Amino acid sequence: MNRQRRLTLAVGSLLAVTACLSQPEQIEREIAASSAEVRAARRAYDGAPPVIPHDNLGTTCAECHDERGVNVPGLGYAPAQPHNETSGVGETARCRQCHVFAVTGAQFVGNSFVGVAQAPRSGARATDGAPPTMPHRLQMRENCVACHTGPAARTDIVSEHPERENCKQCHVEVAVTRSFVPPNTAGVE
Amino acid sequence: MKRRDLLKSLAWSGAGIAAVSCRDQEEAARLVAESGDVDQRGLTWQKAPCRFCGTGCGVQVGVADGVVQAVRGDEASPVNKGLLCVKGYHLPGFLYGEDRLRYPMLRDGSNYRRISWDEALDLIASKFREALDAHGDRSVAMYGSGQWTVHDGYAASKFFRAGMGSNNVDPNARLCMASAVVGFMTQFKSDEPMGCYEDFEEGDDFILWGNNMAEMHPVLYSRILENKRKNPSVRIVDIATRRTPTTDYADMYVQFTPGSDLALANGILHLLVANGDVDEAFVRENVIFKRGNENIEEIGFGCWGPDGTSTNPADGPAERYGFGDTARNSSLEELERFLEDYSPARVSEISGVPVAQIRSLARMYGDQSRGTVSLWCMGVNQHSRGTWMNNLITDLHLLTGKISRPGSNPLSLTGQPSACGTVREVGTLAHRLPADMNVNVDAHRAIAEDIWNVPAGTINPRPGYHTMDMFRALARSDIKVMWIQVTNPWVTIPNLNRMISERPDDDDRFIIVSDIYPTPTTAMADLILPSAAWVEREGVFGNTERRTQHWNQMVPPPGEATEDAWQIIQVAKRMGYEHLFPWPEDNWHEPMYEEYREFTLGRGKDVAAYQQLRETPGMLWPVVDGKETRYRYAAGYDPYVQKSSGVHFYKAKDYGEKAAFWLRPYHRPAEVPDDEYPMWLTTGRTLEHWHTGSMTRRIPQLHQAVPQGYVEVNRADALDLGINEGSMVKVSSRRGTVDLPAMIDGRGRPPRGTVFVPFFDENRLINVLTLDAMDNLSKEPDYKKCAVRIELA
Repeated sequence: MNRQRRLTLAVGSLLAVTACLSQPEQIEREIAASSAEVRAARRAYDGAPPVIPHDNLGTTCAECHDERGVNVPGLGYAPAQPHNETSGVGETARCRQCHVFAVTGAQFVGNSFVGVAQAPRSGARATDGAPPTMPHRLQMRENCVACHTGPAARTDIVSEHPERENCKQCHVEVAVTRSFVPPNTAGVE
Repeated sequence: MKRRDLLKSLAWSGAGIAAVSCRDQEEAARLVAESGDVDQRGLTWQKAPCRFCGTGCGVQVGVADGVVQAVRGDEASPVNKGLLCVKGYHLPGFLYGEDRLRYPMLRDGSNYRRISWDEALDLIASKFREALDAHGDRSVAMYGSGQWTVHDGYAASKFFRAGMGSNNVDPNARLCMASAVVGFMTQFKSDEPMGCYEDFEEGDDFILWGNNMAEMHPVLYSRILENKRKNPSVRIVDIATRRTPTTDYADMYVQFTPGSDLALANGILHLLVANGDVDEAFVRENVIFKRGNENIEEIGFGCWGPDGTSTNPADGPAERYGFGDTARNSSLEELERFLEDYSPARVSEISGVPVAQIRSLARMYGDQSRGTVSLWCMGVNQHSRGTWMNNLITDLHLLTGKISRPGSNPLSLTGQPSACGTVREVGTLAHRLPADMNVNVDAHRAIAEDIWNVPAGTINPRPGYHTMDMFRALARSDIKVMWIQVTNPWVTIPNLNRMISERPDDDDRFIIVSDIYPTPTTAMADLILPSAAWVEREGVFGNTERRTQHWNQMVPPPGEATEDAWQIIQVAKRMGYEHLFPWPEDNWHEPMYEEYREFTLGRGKDVAAYQQLRETPGMLWPVVDGKETRYRYAAGYDPYVQKSSGVHFYKAKDYGEKAAFWLRPYHRPAEVPDDEYPMWLTTGRTLEHWHTGSMTRRIPQLHQAVPQGYVEVNRADALDLGINEGSMVKVSSRRGTVDLPAMIDGRGRPPRGTVFVPFFDENRLINVLTLDAMDNLSKEPDYKKCAVRIELA
């Protein structure tokens, strides 16, 4: 069974289970968990470029994964690509420089790597009612709508006001770290 | 809408009116900066260069609980500006394969048993001592790597040359960029490019000579593509023997018959002269002309037989090659006569390149209104006339004056992360010393003996075995003890059948292999040492553009693994060479580097101070007064230049501080297709795998993307032979056979009569088929051209 089918099954069975439950909040949690699980399964760690979860369709990636996302009849929703502003990731870019197909589920030898887990956080608000800051870096994901809107967005991070377009007018990026640390401050054992 | 959501939405929209001021943004950034580098997820972030290729991308490494848990492209690195490739993004996984080597293991019959470090180090010291005493300095050898850190390479070179009095230290970079070294040395008397990566933004025309940049230097190719996106007049020319992902973005694809690039370059030179595009003022001021030995009978190809191409010793005479060339002075007038043989019509006949494309290339090189950057890597270097081809590409720039200025340079790309920093700058080739010096020059040895504080006469004036000879000497048992670090020769040496393949019980050779995973090379070892990798130790790499980069140790190595330099130092100390490594056990990286740095200061090779390396995303040497040099030999950029404008090739004292233009003819490749073996075989790499895959194949995402070796076959050839996509194909050369699944119209598309096989798959060794012919000057073997036959398996 390939990775894509496994994922579909996993999501499907989760949905089936949650459908039996009566409390809406419970359902919401389950769906959020499953969408998060799908996202995590495609990445080596939170922040890694996802592997391509579908077969090679013989067209250019940007045909469907454009700036807004495309509903492809018979196939599903192709989310927008999140990094159209990144330097070097322009319209002449090579998506498959970072995103690869999985042609097998096998491993060469086992690997015990466990990457940092995704952990959605809320941004800080200066006052009650102030717009939250962005809780993550914008590097490689400047196009907010790619992840925060549309049918492919994780349910727990969907924006309620996608129509406002210019997200950065109200939400600022603070998750910037210094590029370099002074020497000998690392937590080396 | 649910009530809860409605309330949330109202809250968000109300706040939306309070637009964020610039001051708020600055404050936010300040707060984060002050909170240090531990992010909200508990990760500590520090810089390191990527472990894989010679690009030297800056990576931020996220660590928690002593484990690397994430990476991201370093936005502060001028190399990659935040972008990585799929290998770089999956770096953390390479450290955590389940079969990491953790303890020293000694061969015990057909098995290995764990021993202590003390036992292992004592054993190596005694083996080296026995061999030296019984068989002399030629019987010990170290085979290292362009993936050695500066510390590893410096320790190895000093241990061998200043300790054991042997120059038998040579790296896998011999297989990789030795031709580029000899190219730069013969023309400028100083190694490494004059340009830097800013050429990717400054240039107009990018001429790629046998260089699949989109897969092998993907982040650098992205920089060219970004330039092209912003400036539609930018052009990319892909001169190649097969179509690759690079071709998809090229404005012109120039397909040539393997080996005929020598003729093509001469054809362009012919037209530059004929069209009056020689920059005569530049040439008069800055260029001299040289000509070397062009007699194919005398040069050979490094194998047996009358023409030097046989792999059978019975075909005698023995291999013919040696260090050096027989250079004589030449002139522009002689060049004009020499080039008469390279008319467009004749070059087209040799190379298969249409005359119109040759003319088009000549117009590009000759157009003074546009910046021209030539790029090359393994296609040119792994070439039985690789030095000549390096010379010819630089000749194109010398004749037109398009050199040492932003956006106009011959920019040789390297494959390994410290091929430049360690092999070329520290000088871990068998004939080299640090900072462009050679062991066979008396004055150079004296400088080294002075810095190393060893008696005059300590360093052996005779160059050691280069890689190809080193393994031939091992096979002959002339080498008794060989130590291999950070490389996998039992996958990568061409014509693997000439390597020893088993170890008889009475074998008097002793092979030590330091690595991080089991490989076909550790399988040949008597003693296996577990090494620390990448951020499990402190280190320095130097990349293609002369950028020296430092990183801290960030996580502990697994088990008892130690860094390669430490292993060398401990053996040296046990052999009585404590004086060579006098630094305290807990603080030797900086003083060792600063000692190495002494070699470079004042010689135009000045590497940055250690402290500056810590604080910056790397520095481009020469670094003078703390300032880096983007364009060598260029007035206004290079502090060594003693001219107010133009260029000054100050390193070439023997040439009157001018650059040498070398006249280099076309020679046929060592082996060409014939009736029995009618197709070309060319080999190489693939985006997802680093070299022999010992690291990248252990990363699930990379292995799952490209799980095995394959053979790219042209669709028409496949139709003729009944081969379908995925069919098992038997590929045979005069030296061996391997079965591989066919790939048709995949990422690489060879023309009719050519097949391509990547070399990363240790279970399908393509180097059993390749020929061990090599460049006459650099001794770099040619992995790109031999004759094979294919059939359905």
